[in-house]
Amino acid sequence: MSEKVIVDARGAFCPGPLMELIATLKNVAVGDEVDVWSTDKGSVTDIPEWCKKVKHECVGVVEQQGYWSVLVRKAK
Amino acid sequence: MADNALYILLCSGEREKIQMAAMMAAVAAVSERPVQVFVSMNAILAFDRSVPAATRYYGGTFAKLLHDQKAPDPMVLFQQGKDLGDLKMWACSMALDIQGWEMSHLDETLFDGPLGLTKFLSDAESGQFVTL
Repeated sequence: MSEKVIVDARGAFCPGPLMELIATLKNVAVGDEVDVWSTDKGSVTDIPEWCKKVKHECVGVVEQQGYWSVLVRKAK
Repeated sequence: MADNALYILLCSGEREKIQMAAMMAAVAAVSERPVQVFVSMNAILAFDRSVPAATRYYGGTFAKLLHDQKAPDPMVLFQQGKDLGDLKMWACSMALDIQGWEMSHLDETLFDGPLGLTKFLSDAESGQFVTL
């Protein structure tokens, strides 16, 4: 059964949210999801682009109240 | 070295340029690009292990903003790049000689060793080269 981990990177500057995502992905299983909460506008484009490049799956980007939620599924 | 490798020649001691070098190095390294950083001239002074983080950098408007808003310290970003990706850092052997420094003056968890410019340039022929 896959799990979801929340990474609350609100307040972190670029590339902090991405680096926190990557560190977290190392510690979860394939199929697990990581939900990155970020106030860094760059994360909205940077995290999906990084996923595309290194072959993880960006499930979606949702604007919440004052931050973005970027959901990533570990694919390998 | 892969042909998508990134080579960064870091010469400036300004916070803004060291910050950008660290951001580029860390992001490229975690994006499956091999990265090598060659640190020389005033930049190497920022890596003196005896200097506290608060007084390590100088710079302009953005240096102050980065400090005041607690942007990640470049040394932390370089370390993350090494921990999470293929990032190597080299200390310019000429800069060490001019300063009269040994590698022990630098943070040895960050640096992979001393290196000459000729070797760095030779390795960099196969990749993308950025100077800061």
